[in-house]
Amino acid sequence: MSSILFENKKDFEALLMGNDAIARGALEAGVNVVTGYPGTPSSEIVEQLANVAGERNLYVEWSVNEKVALEVAAAGSYANLKSLCVMKQVGVNVAADSLLHIAEYGTRGPLVLVSCEDPGALSSTNEGDSRPYAKMMEFPLLEPGDFQEAKDMARWAFELSCDIRNIVMLRSVTRLSHASGNVIMGKLPKSIPEAIFEFSGTPMDQMKGAVLAFPTLVDSLRRRQHEKLSKAVAAFEESPFNTYTGPQKPELLIITSSVCNLYTREALTILNLWDRVGLLKLGTTWPLPSKLLEQHLSVCEKIFIVEEGTPFLEDNIKVMAAEKAKQVGIKTFFGRKDGTLPCVNELNPDLLIKGINHILGTSVQPVLDDYSAEAAQIIAAGVFNRELTFCPGCPHRASFWLIHTALKLDNRSGFLCGDIGCYGLGAGPCGFSTIKILQAMGSGIGMAGGFGKFDRFGMSQSVMAVCGDSTFFHAAMPALVNAVHNQSDMILVVLDNSGTAMTGFQPHPGSPAGAMGSKLPMLDIEKLCRAMDVRVEVSDPFDLKATRQILLEFLEDKGNPRVLILKQPCALSPIRKGRKMYEMAIDADRCLADHCGCNRLCTRVFKCPGLIWDTIKNKIQIDEVLCAGCGVCASICPTGAITAKKVR
Amino acid sequence: MDKDDKNQQGQQGINTKVLKQGLCTGCCACVNLCPSIEYYKDKTILVHDCNLEKGRCFTYCPRTPTDFEMLRCALFNPGDMVLEIGAFKGLYMTRAADENIRAGAQHGGTVTALIQLALDQGFIDEAILADQNDQFLPAAQSIVDKDEVSGKSGSKFAVSPTLSVFNRISKTDTGKIGVVATPCQALALAKMKVNPVPEDKMRMEKLRLVLGLFCGWALDWRKLQKLLKEKTGDRKIKGIDILPSKYACMEVYTMDGTIEIPIEEVNTCVRDNCRYCFDMTCEFADISVGAARSPEGWDVDRGWNQVIVRTDLGGQLLALAREKGVLEFKAVPDKNIENLKKASAGKKLTCLINLSEKTGNPDDFIYIDPEDPVVRHIKKLRG
Amino acid sequence: MENTLRCDPYNLIIAGVGGQGNVLASRVLGDMMIHQGYTVTIGETFGASQRGGSVMSHLRISARGGFSPQMPKGKANMVVALEPMEAIRVLAVYGNPKVKVLCNTRPIQSVGVICGEQIYPEKKQIIKWIESLSADAKFFDTTKAALNLGNPVFGNIMAMGALSSTGDLPMSLNVFEQVILKKVPAHKVEINLEAYKIGKGMVIA
Ligand SMILES: Cc1cc2nc3c(=O)[nH]c(=O)nc-3n(C[C@H](O)[C@H](O)[C@H](O)COP(=O)(O)OP(=O)(O)OC[C@H]3O[C@@H](n4cnc5c(N)ncnc54)[C@H](O)[C@@H]3O)c2cc1C
Ligand code: SF4
Ligand code: SF4
Repeated sequence: MSSILFENKKDFEALLMGNDAIARGALEAGVNVVTGYPGTPSSEIVEQLANVAGERNLYVEWSVNEKVALEVAAAGSYANLKSLCVMKQVGVNVAADSLLHIAEYGTRGPLVLVSCEDPGALSSTNEGDSRPYAKMMEFPLLEPGDFQEAKDMARWAFELSCDIRNIVMLRSVTRLSHASGNVIMGKLPKSIPEAIFEFSGTPMDQMKGAVLAFPTLVDSLRRRQHEKLSKAVAAFEESPFNTYTGPQKPELLIITSSVCNLYTREALTILNLWDRVGLLKLGTTWPLPSKLLEQHLSVCEKIFIVEEGTPFLEDNIKVMAAEKAKQVGIKTFFGRKDGTLPCVNELNPDLLIKGINHILGTSVQPVLDDYSAEAAQIIAAGVFNRELTFCPGCPHRASFWLIHTALKLDNRSGFLCGDIGCYGLGAGPCGFSTIKILQAMGSGIGMAGGFGKFDRFGMSQSVMAVCGDSTFFHAAMPALVNAVHNQSDMILVVLDNSGTAMTGFQPHPGSPAGAMGSKLPMLDIEKLCRAMDVRVEVSDPFDLKATRQILLEFLEDKGNPRVLILKQPCALSPIRKGRKMYEMAIDADRCLADHCGCNRLCTRVFKCPGLIWDTIKNKIQIDEVLCAGCGVCASICPTGAITAKKVR
Repeated sequence: MDKDDKNQQGQQGINTKVLKQGLCTGCCACVNLCPSIEYYKDKTILVHDCNLEKGRCFTYCPRTPTDFEMLRCALFNPGDMVLEIGAFKGLYMTRAADENIRAGAQHGGTVTALIQLALDQGFIDEAILADQNDQFLPAAQSIVDKDEVSGKSGSKFAVSPTLSVFNRISKTDTGKIGVVATPCQALALAKMKVNPVPEDKMRMEKLRLVLGLFCGWALDWRKLQKLLKEKTGDRKIKGIDILPSKYACMEVYTMDGTIEIPIEEVNTCVRDNCRYCFDMTCEFADISVGAARSPEGWDVDRGWNQVIVRTDLGGQLLALAREKGVLEFKAVPDKNIENLKKASAGKKLTCLINLSEKTGNPDDFIYIDPEDPVVRHIKKLRG
Repeated sequence: MENTLRCDPYNLIIAGVGGQGNVLASRVLGDMMIHQGYTVTIGETFGASQRGGSVMSHLRISARGGFSPQMPKGKANMVVALEPMEAIRVLAVYGNPKVKVLCNTRPIQSVGVICGEQIYPEKKQIIKWIESLSADAKFFDTTKAALNLGNPVFGNIMAMGALSSTGDLPMSLNVFEQVILKKVPAHKVEINLEAYKIGKGMVIA
């Protein structure tokens, strides 16, 4: 099984996922250094490139967080290498400080930042839009409008960065990154890089001087940065990635970018409006190609701007239309701001059809009223939602069971601050609704550190925080340092399941190997915490009794931060998958079922999908296929109706 | 009861009608019946939600609506009823004959001596007594060996999880069980005994003897902890006692002498729920024991007990104690019974006032039936 | 290239539950089509795949291309359901009176069912509902047949085999073989071929 993605031939066509296409584009550009931090929908790009790191002589790393990832990639650029840095939308915020300075100074070897964003928050906690960074920090922004462009623009981004000597951002979205389409491949180049960081020149010598962001240099640096932007605009005016389809004088001009291009095309085809409506698809969305826009704006009065996220294009085009009002005349704008499109959430062809109908007064496409009504009835009668849950044998289920129990027993309205990872489900029923604050990576610990200081204002609640092992390194460490230094009364529970489970087991600094598979030293979370001089305990969440004791003791032990590391690999991890620790059995006579005395604790409350409630016999059953053999349900059953026999 | 109430006779009812109302006594009648309710640090905690519409927790809890009159009729001889203090076969002043018992006991050591005797004479096979750790956190234990009884002497002023142990051992052990209980615990045991759900019938038959303690109130352990820490620092505490009201203080006996804590400060540690308690003399016991009161004054009285015998079994045990010389007896001053009745009626009245304040309705006492003859009597006394 | 699609674009949805192998099925089918010169867009919703959520893949197969990875509502030509309830969920949004359905009848319970909060409808009822929402619905138990092969996950490839027998799409065994060779490790090729063939035999037109 070899991936066609990396076949070293030209002009062959394959079905590629958007992320694969971006990876291929980077390879075609001759990328040398690849960094990133895992996050859906971006992770596959780094993973794919890691797979061919040896073959193509790349340096690929999963960095500790996005800021460091960008810095490592920038080092690549300053060493005259071609660098790619990949993250999801939230990561750009983490990297923003370095990003600002890199953009101000500029680059040497090309540096491309890929941000895969998630309109509609399909697998995110937000709808963050990083495009405004390009404007705010003044560097070019590219947005591919289909799969072929994902590959081609990724490659071109390197060329552009090389030409203007500054960082270029390529923005994708879930519906592109995780969707697939036909892509025709280009050639993979031979490159023999020579890495060197030069500092012999003057500070303003971009290619040879020291890279310094001194206050006295800022004025000159910023002027240089603006020249780069002008160069980018010049390239954008001519860019083949900005395309127009439609009549010369359209009744309505739609301006769009990214995957909205595909939605709009589909809508126009369904409505059969290609002879009346023009579509200007922009691949270069900052800085805007003003001449191109002027030309199109001047032939049409009605402008419909179609984009997801914030009204970034809409606002910028409006500003430009105002500046050029004399040339282009007065326009009527439609978009997310006037309600032609919903102001939040992702778009789709149906929303576009609705929007266009609204503007042109065209007839709505025939709705299948009877069919929809019948379907709605059926859905109401018998189709339920599938609630998300932890996998069978997931250590988080046991961990949240324990934390929930400990906080209840503690009886001081204690609460748990969480953050982003599989364990975010701890806020839902499968985690016994234990997490009460859930925001950004590592934010739970930072906030817990705050809550833990408010006793002087009468706050007497017990405060706990959780983070995963990957998050610990990513963002929790500084927050923990802060809590320790400020002597905050809080407990941190590190849910160490040995990997970045949610996004597919990417390694992190605590892992024995890196992205490229080679052996690396593992950083020990326990030792790191001990070095901070806090009380640290390590326990197995499947050992309910011992862990519960530690948690209760921690809750009594008021004062400085305490850290409990709960170690148990993810049920899907290579070491546990398909391997049961216990053979589970049922003693149905002992099962109290829904009688007073138990009321189905295992299935009503604990709810491991490895258990089945037999509604006919009114007894518990084990689902042989799903059960992961962790044995935890045997520990919670009050009557011994579930038994666990150690395997081997 | 409206429909909603009918659907809330399980844990949800415990939550809304007992815990949230601040009525939970911490008696632990609901603990160890199922895995969803636990006792932790003198509090009863609903760890996991239970949605059963009917549950034993609700049925046995002493703070869910209770038909007191039915319980009295089922357990006692109607002719023995005294409205203020419950079934009454006689009042005695006693103390343990054994000096060693007295030395370790709260007052006269009557309870310790009687439990020893009951075990020795086969009245019971095991007794559930209260112990505590060095931080005064009570723990209950079942004792089989009579030589271990005196080790558990002395009052624990926070509630003891006595009934959780009863629930546990009555499931597995086969012998006759005796329980030393506070009034709320004795009431819960009475509810269990008189009206067990079918699967608990066998279990309740094992309950042989309830030895009741008089009770004014119990302390909240966390608050007590804090207070003791404030007052004694790191000194090692040997024991504590609450003196009769005219002394208005709690005495804390430490290695370097006694520290007095003014009663107003102690009062801040009293469990809220005790303000809603209807029973001072432990009316649902076979025999109830409290501190003695006499003209001789506290220095003498503190070494004696006052005992109310309520059932034939209680009477037999006391008679045997006299016969075997286990207890010493002295004459009960004439006024004592009246004083007891007055004190008990006082607690009942306060309870009713506090409950009606909580409900905002002069005739709604949450768990107590306003038509109960004792309630009517107390209301009449108040005028 | 001769366009032998029943219609262009041919809109197909593969619906299932996380862990059923939706993604592999859609990729295999997509590759088979590209192999024969078609343009394919696949849109996937698999954010919750490992955690028991509903999963679906939209396939837009055409001689032209440029289609949205999200299919417009009511535009499906075919729904291949690896799980019966998921068929209904998808039909309710993307179905129409002319849609065809191929459906595995073996339910996958939800956590709600496990914990007794939800009831999975009777098989007969589900079949009736699916029939009433489609012009042509065929049912089979691929889970059972796949279990016979040793792993329920082969149900996805069987469903592709079943799809090939409808004649809606050019899906010869030969093309399948060429595609699967590149998709799975060598020792798994044989069993996947077997699964495809079994699936092919499942639908009696
Ligand atoms: C919380 C509390 C409040 C009290 N309030 C009053 C009062 O207001 N007026 C009054 O006259 N008497 C009161 N008493 C009773 C009094 O303190 C003595 O327990 C009683 O006089 C018996 O004395 P003794 O020397 O015979 O007891 P001991 O021989 O010392 O034996 C006491 C027995 O009671 C058990 N015990 C101790 N604490 C508890 C507890 N919390 N729950 C259950 N069992 C326990 C012990 O295990 C021991 O077996 C109270 C007792 C308690 C526990
Ligand atoms: S042992 Fe029990 S808790 Fe663990 S996976 Fe199996 S069924 Fe679930
Ligand atoms: S039974 Fe006792 S412990 Fe339980 S709720 Fe009632 S008073 Fe509280």
